[in-house]
Amino acid sequence: MTTQLKALPASAAALPARKNWGYTALAIFFLAVMLFPVYWMVNASLQPNGTTLETSWLPLKPDFTGYATAINEQGGNLVTSLVISLGSVALSLAIAAPAAYALAYFKVRGAGLVLFAILISQMIPGIVVANALYTAYNDLGLLNSIPGLILADSAHGIPFAILIIRAFMNGMPASVIEAARVDGAGHIRAFWSIVLPLSRNSLITAGLFTFLFAWSDFLFALTLTTTEAVRPVTLGIFQYIGAYVNDWSSVMATAVLASVPAIVLLVAAQKYIAAGTTGGAVK
Amino acid sequence: MKSIRKTSRPLALAAAAMIGLPLAVSGCGTSTASSSEAVKEISVMDYYNNEPDKSFIGDALTSCGTQAGVTIKRETVPGKSLISKVLQQSSSKTLPDVLMLDNPDLQQIAATGALAPLADFKISTDNFAAGVLSAGTYKDKVYGLAPTVNTIALFYNKDILAKAGVTPPTTWDELKTAATKLTAGDQYGLAFNANPTYEGTWQFLPVMWSNGGDEKKIDTPETEQALQLWTELVKDGSVSSSALNWTQADVKDQFLAGKAAMMVNGPWQIPALDKEPSLQYGVVKIPVREAGQTAVAPLGGEVWTVPQTGNKARQAKAAEVVACLNSDEKQLSMAKARNTIPSKTTLADKFATENPKLATFTELIKTARARTGQLGEEWPAQATKIYTAIQTALTGNASPADALKQAQGQ
Amino acid sequence: MQVPRRRPRHRRERIFQWLFLVPAVVYMALFFGYPVAKNVVMSFQDYTTATFFTGEAPWVGLANYVTVLSSSLFSTSLLNTALFTVGSILGQFVIGLALAVFFRRKFPLNGILRSLLLLPWLLPLIVSSAVWRWILDKDSGALNRFLGDLGIIDTGIPWLTSTSLALIAVVGVNIWIGIPFNLTILYGGLQEIPDELYEAGSLDGATGWRAFWHITWPMLRPVVSVVLVLGVVYTLKVLDIILGLTNGGPANSTQTIATQSYALSFHEFKFGEGAALGNVLVIISLVFAVLYLRASRRAVDE
Repeated sequence: MTTQLKALPASAAALPARKNWGYTALAIFFLAVMLFPVYWMVNASLQPNGTTLETSWLPLKPDFTGYATAINEQGGNLVTSLVISLGSVALSLAIAAPAAYALAYFKVRGAGLVLFAILISQMIPGIVVANALYTAYNDLGLLNSIPGLILADSAHGIPFAILIIRAFMNGMPASVIEAARVDGAGHIRAFWSIVLPLSRNSLITAGLFTFLFAWSDFLFALTLTTTEAVRPVTLGIFQYIGAYVNDWSSVMATAVLASVPAIVLLVAAQKYIAAGTTGGAVK
Repeated sequence: MKSIRKTSRPLALAAAAMIGLPLAVSGCGTSTASSSEAVKEISVMDYYNNEPDKSFIGDALTSCGTQAGVTIKRETVPGKSLISKVLQQSSSKTLPDVLMLDNPDLQQIAATGALAPLADFKISTDNFAAGVLSAGTYKDKVYGLAPTVNTIALFYNKDILAKAGVTPPTTWDELKTAATKLTAGDQYGLAFNANPTYEGTWQFLPVMWSNGGDEKKIDTPETEQALQLWTELVKDGSVSSSALNWTQADVKDQFLAGKAAMMVNGPWQIPALDKEPSLQYGVVKIPVREAGQTAVAPLGGEVWTVPQTGNKARQAKAAEVVACLNSDEKQLSMAKARNTIPSKTTLADKFATENPKLATFTELIKTARARTGQLGEEWPAQATKIYTAIQTALTGNASPADALKQAQGQ
Repeated sequence: MQVPRRRPRHRRERIFQWLFLVPAVVYMALFFGYPVAKNVVMSFQDYTTATFFTGEAPWVGLANYVTVLSSSLFSTSLLNTALFTVGSILGQFVIGLALAVFFRRKFPLNGILRSLLLLPWLLPLIVSSAVWRWILDKDSGALNRFLGDLGIIDTGIPWLTSTSLALIAVVGVNIWIGIPFNLTILYGGLQEIPDELYEAGSLDGATGWRAFWHITWPMLRPVVSVVLVLGVVYTLKVLDIILGLTNGGPANSTQTIATQSYALSFHEFKFGEGAALGNVLVIISLVFAVLYLRASRRAVDE
C-alpha cells in the first residue's frame, strides 16, 4: 500500500483518469461482497414462495406475483415514508445545526451538561420513549398524523445530528468565524452565510443518517398509529407478516421497491460531499 | 455575579422543563364517555393483520356488528406487538371495546383487572371444549371465549413414506425408527421447532404432556423422557440441528421443499401445503411413548374479550358482538375458512365430516389442554424455563435431566 | 472566543447564544426527559402488567437490581455483551476507515459506488434478519453452499445453532450493518482535511503511512471520537438484529444485556427488572463515554 501511495502523486497527474478503472474494479468487488445479502433479497423476491430455500444462485424463473402485490398496495405507503423521512431531515437539521454551532463555539455554561444529556438520550431503548409518547400523543390528538410522526422520528435524528455536526465543527478553524464577526456580522448572519456553507459535508452526512433512521423506523410508526390512514412502508410490510403465516414474496418485493427511491435520493445527496470546503476559506 | 445568574437561570428552566413539561402534557385527562347516547360504533383490536384472515375476521365482525346495530372500527396490529399495544392502551385508558387476545395471554391481562367477566353480560359458555374454558377462565370467572381453536399434529409426506416402506408412527420408538429410515441425502426424517421462544415450548408440550409431564415442575422423569426423545432425534441426525433456530413457518418451508419427510405443525399451514400440487400429505396425532397413552395437544387460538372501558352501554354492545362471534354459525364458517377447529364440542362431528383434512385436529381438540390451565399468570416464566432446558439439552451442553433441573431451579 | 465586555451587548450575546440551543433543549426535554425519568423510577418499583391498568407499583428499592445482577444469566449476558461490542466495533471501524481512505481516491463511479454501500441501511430489519438467517442456514444457506462449492467444507457449518459460533455469526452481521455508518461519517471527516496539508507534507517527505499517521489521524480525531462513542452506545443497545437472528439462543450464547432486558419486560412481564437491567446498560455506556471523552480531550490538549 505504501508503494501504491508513493506512486500515486506522480502517476495520477501523468496518466488520464481512465487508468484508474483498476480502483473501480476493486470497489465493485467490495460492493459485490458487501451487498450480496441485498442481491439475495432480490433473488428471494423473485421466487414463488419468497424464500431462498431451494434457489440457485441466479433467479432463472422469475415470479413477479410479489411485485404485483407490492405495487398495488404499497404505493401510498411509500409516499408516506418519503414525506415523513424528508420532513424529519428538514426538522432535525433546522434544530440540530444551530445547537451544534452553539455547543462548538459558544462558551455557554451548561454546554457540557447538554452534551451529556444528548449522549444519554442515545442510550435509552426506543420502546421506553415510544410508550411515553403514546400517552402524550393520544392526549394531544397527534396520533395517525404525519407531523406527529415527523416529530417522533426526529427523536433519533436530532441528537445524532447535533453530535456529528458538532464534531465536524470542532475541526473547523475558529478564525473564519472570528473574521466574520469582526466584520460586523451578527450571530445569525455569521451562522447563515459562513458557518452553514462551510459545514456542508457534516450537514449532508447528518442529513443522510437522519433520513435513514426515519426511513427504517418501525417502532414509532407502530406505536403512534391506530388506523391505516398514515402508514409508512416499514409498517405496511407487516400486513404480509401474520401471527401464523407469512407472505415472504410480497415482503421481499416491497423491500426491494422501497429501496429504489431512497437510494436515488442518497446517491444524489452524496454527490454534494466535496473535498476541502474549509481549505479555500482559510486562504 | 449577575452574569452567572443569568446563564444559570436558563439552565434551571431547562431542567424544570425536563420534568415539568412532559408531565403537564400527559396529565391532560382523558374524557369519560357519556353513556346516555345510543352506541353507534364500537372499536375492536386484533392481530389478524394479514390476508386472508384479515378479511375473514373482518367480515365476521361486520356481520356481528350489523346484528348488534353498530359499526365496527377495527385496528389490526402485527402479532408480536399486540401485548405492547394493550399495555399502552391500558395506561392511557384507551382500551378498545372488543379485544382479541392470544389465549395464553388472557389470564395475565385478566389479572390486571382490565377485562370484564363475560357472565356480567349473560354470555353462555355451554358446550365449549374444556381446554377452551380453562384458558378463558381466571379465578373461576370466564373472561374470554374463543370461537375457533387449533393445535399441532404430525404431518407426513405420503409419497416419501410409501417409497421407504414406512407407516406413520404412533409411538416414540416407531417415530425414532421412521425418522432414521427417512433421513437420506439432504432429506431429514423429521422437522420440528425448538427455538428459544414460546413457539419452541409449544411444540414440545405434546410429548411432555402425553407422557404425564407437569408444566409446574419440569425436572420430573416424565418430562426428562420427553426431552430425551427430542435430544436423541437431533443427535441421531434425523432432525437438523437448525431446528434450534427454526420457527414453525421455517419447519413448513422445509417440509414443502421435501427437505423433511415429517413435520410437527398446525392446520394453518394447510393453504400453503395445498398450493403445491405434487405434495400429498397426511396428518396423524403426535406419537405417544407407549401404546395406550392419550395424545394430549396444547390449545392454540385466540379469545375475544370485553375490556373495562367504564362505559356500560358500549360494553353491552361489545358483549353482543363477542357472543355473536362465538355462535355456532360463526364458529363453523370461520373455522372452515381459516382452517381452524370450532371450539364447541357439539359441532365437532359435523365439522370433521365436512372437512376431512381437519379430522385429526378436531379429534385432538376434544382433549386439548390450555397452557395457562394450571399456572395462570405464572405460565410465561415457566414457559421460558422449558425452552431454556430444550436449548441446553439439544446443544449438548447438559444431559436432559440436568438441563431440566438447571432450568427449573432458575 | 472573545466576548465584548459591555454589559447590554453581553446580555444580548447570551440571549442570542441560548436561542441557538433552545429548540434542541426543548425537544430533548419533551421527548426524552420523561421517558428517562420514568425508566429510572420503574427500576425501583414492582412494575407488572397490572400496573399499566391500575397505576399501582409498590416501591421495592434496590430489589430489582439485586435480582437482576445476581441471576445466573447476568454473567453470561455481560460477557456476551462485551464480546459482541468489542468485536463489532473493531470490525466495523477498521473496515469502515479502510474503505473511507480507499474511496478518497478519484476513480470513475466513486460517488455512486460509495452511496450504494448504504443499501444495507435501507432494508427493514425484519427483511435483513430473514435474509441473513437464510444465508447462514446450516443445510441450505448460501454461505455454506458457497464454501462447499469451493471445497473448503464437507458438511454445513452450524453458524446460528452452535453455541460457539452463534455469537461470531451475530457479530459478523452487526459488522456488516455498521460498516456503512462508519464509512460514510469517516469519509465526510476525511473530506474536511485540506489537500494543502498533504501537499505540504509530501514536500517534507511524509507520504503513505506517515502521511496517515501525522496528518490524517490527528485531523480526524474529533470525528473518530464521535464515531467510536456513538458506535459503542448503539452497539450496546442492539436488539432487533440479535432477536431476528437467534432470539438470544442457542442456549443463551447470544443473549446480551439488551436482549435480556427486553425479554424480562416483554416476555416475562417483569417490567421493573427489565428497567433495572436497561439502566445497568445505560450506566455501562455512560462510564465508557466519560472515560473515552476524557482520554480524547487530554490527547487533543497535548
